[in-house]
Amino acid sequence: MFVHLQGPWNPVWGRLSLQAIPYHNPILVGTFLFAVVIALAAVGAVLYFRAGPYLWREWLTTVDHKKIGVMYCLLGLVMLFRGFADALMIRTQQAIAVGPHSPGYLGALHGYLTPFHIGQVYTAHGLIMVVFAATPLLVGIMNIIVPLQIGARDMAYPYLNALGFWLTAAAAGLVMLSLFVGNFAHGGWYGFLPYFELPYSPGVGVDYWMWAFQLSAVGTTLGSINLIATIVKMRAPGMTWMRMPIFTWASLSTNLIALTSFPVLMVSLALLGLDRYFGTHFYTAGNGGNLMLYNDLFWVWGHPEVYFLILPAFGMMSEIIPTFSEKTLFGYTTMVVASFAIGGVSWGVWLHHFFTMAAEPSVNSFYSVTTMLVGIPTGVKVFNWIFTMYRGRVRFELPMMWAVLALFLLLVGGMSGMMNAFAANDYMWHNGVFVVAHFHMMVLLIAASIFGAVEYWFPKIFGFKLEQRWGKWFFWFMVLGTAWVFVPMFILGFTGMTRRLDYVPYTQWAPYLRVMLVGMAFYVIALVFFFAHLYVSLRDRVKNRVGADPWGTSRNLEWMTHSPVPAYNFAYIPHVHARDEWAWRKENGVASLANESFEDIHMPRNTGVPVLLGALSFVLCFGLIWRIWWLSAASLALVVLVIIVRSFARNTDEVITAKTVAGVEGAVDDALPSAARG
Amino acid sequence: MTHSVDNPLHHPEVEQASFAGYLANFVITVVVMTAALWVVGDKSLSTLGFIGWTTLFAVVAVLVQAYFLLHMNWSKAQVWHTVAMLMFIPLFVVMIGLTAWMFHGLYERTMIAMPPHTMAAPMKRAAPAQAVPPVSQPVPAPKAM
Repeated sequence: MFVHLQGPWNPVWGRLSLQAIPYHNPILVGTFLFAVVIALAAVGAVLYFRAGPYLWREWLTTVDHKKIGVMYCLLGLVMLFRGFADALMIRTQQAIAVGPHSPGYLGALHGYLTPFHIGQVYTAHGLIMVVFAATPLLVGIMNIIVPLQIGARDMAYPYLNALGFWLTAAAAGLVMLSLFVGNFAHGGWYGFLPYFELPYSPGVGVDYWMWAFQLSAVGTTLGSINLIATIVKMRAPGMTWMRMPIFTWASLSTNLIALTSFPVLMVSLALLGLDRYFGTHFYTAGNGGNLMLYNDLFWVWGHPEVYFLILPAFGMMSEIIPTFSEKTLFGYTTMVVASFAIGGVSWGVWLHHFFTMAAEPSVNSFYSVTTMLVGIPTGVKVFNWIFTMYRGRVRFELPMMWAVLALFLLLVGGMSGMMNAFAANDYMWHNGVFVVAHFHMMVLLIAASIFGAVEYWFPKIFGFKLEQRWGKWFFWFMVLGTAWVFVPMFILGFTGMTRRLDYVPYTQWAPYLRVMLVGMAFYVIALVFFFAHLYVSLRDRVKNRVGADPWGTSRNLEWMTHSPVPAYNFAYIPHVHARDEWAWRKENGVASLANESFEDIHMPRNTGVPVLLGALSFVLCFGLIWRIWWLSAASLALVVLVIIVRSFARNTDEVITAKTVAGVEGAVDDALPSAARG
Repeated sequence: MTHSVDNPLHHPEVEQASFAGYLANFVITVVVMTAALWVVGDKSLSTLGFIGWTTLFAVVAVLVQAYFLLHMNWSKAQVWHTVAMLMFIPLFVVMIGLTAWMFHGLYERTMIAMPPHTMAAPMKRAAPAQAVPPVSQPVPAPKAM
């Protein structure tokens, strides 16, 4: 049945054989040993501290939005590390493999990576950074903060929340597994058609890429449904639409984008799947197929997706900047309108990813104009942030430093984005590194906002502040690395360098490529400082213990409960009186969190079903990748069975008694140094 | 979570279901689809009339199913479903419309112009003057899976 396959296949193992293990590649063997050491250390630590039952009870089976959010962030950090390792390999390869006399190692003619290998590296770098690092980090932070900001006790669908996370984790697991079993796609993270069709990419790499992507898309869509329902239905009494914090507004806009656009991605990947598994002709060059249809469908998702990434980052900046300017946010209403304008325009700009496809001039002009329109709401936001800082008491603590860095990167990235918006320019530098430098400015802006947000909200979630000294070293070396890598990249873009080169033909480019390598060294040093930052913070956690409002000047509802936030978030659901509720309460002298009497709190009960479904989905996709049909069929049947069984479960929630709540509330000391600064 | 309803039959969206509604949906859908089938089979309409009538029947079928089957209405329990569907329409128009516009121009500019006789509808095409012998190359039997 199905399609003709090159190479062996048998009913039990599918395409899987010992040849799929890349034991002859020293880089991958080294990576494997590194992964084994890390895994053994983790498992050993869990066994030594007998933490297994605790981890299972409190984390793996949790439906608590804060814990799921923390797990999202941890997943994002691990994948950020993996994506950075890929970036390091790309930059090293391009710094070595310049000119015909450059040396070659490990079987490569130039540099140390063969074209097939570096193809996998840049594909993995792109997919991981967008889908498995930035997305989980942003979703995680939204997951933690949005219910707190609107005064809810959990998400609208706690079980669905856990399911979304475990599907994303399963997808990330597939990408990681492709390192050691088989290989990964090698034609760029967004796929090239018809190159990704079975006759031209007969291996399992594209299948790994496709199923990991597909699975994460399902997870993100489920998460977006949940966040939208939470924001629409679960706001505390008194929290009208126009009293909602800006980060919540940004989350609403971003998840509307996710809900509407991710299904397009699923369809475009599913059509590719039909081509690869059933021999249909959606994206072939002949037989009625249309390879440009893939580009069209993919970027119908792809451009809304980049605003899906950037809107929460804007929301984070809109929370951090007022807190550290000690002022209310300038232009609240325009900020809301701008968030939704960006979300709306995102649906009409996708063709600017393939201006050079030979569409009519009128079509290209239309998309040029819509792309430039994005600059208007974004400009409104930039000026709002600047006017928030204007004549404020600006304190440059770590979150604020990251937010200001994000603002600078937004200017560089936004201006170069305007240059890209001209279709005529694009004919000069399409697929060049100028575009790469532009979007790295934008994703580094997102990364800077994320680091700022983590610094900002960390004390709320964990009850202690991150230390500032190593954090500042980390910050400044990130700045150095960014400057040294991406300024030369802009210059190389102007000189016409194309992206994704495994071999650089022009020796004139060598100095720039070596400067970029120095920048990568700065990033590596930054990484060391990041670990020092984490280590020192954890070591001094008792010393850095904080109360409910660690920054002293924060304004929104999430600072109105204890740090760390108890499982039920708020002992009493707060009534909201004003836009910046916490600031309003502090100004009106009603900021005390003390309560005399407590009530029973109804909460969802932990369940292991989402972990099980995530594991089964992983096996399902693994079977599909290697075409082990019996394994896929069995795990799919089990998925359906588990869902049916779970739908009959009655015992899905529990009550935290008033006595327990009183005990928790009594043990909290909110009088800790809330105004401790720095 | 504080307002969970344990009996699923008492969920407001489940209570929208009624035998009469489903029957009406079934009958109207069958009528509309039969009419569409008849229009297609009859072949006496002009191209425009053919497209117009089938489109009309399709729109009626969609509306009937949205109302009777998906219960899209303005009641408190269902209004968000209806709003979500309405908000989806502009996105649908934008995506399909802009894609069609782009591909239309692209095909005009990049596709090889076909000789006129191959563009005619297959059923009306006269037999070619010189019969092309059928291709009899041995096709390798596809390997299973």
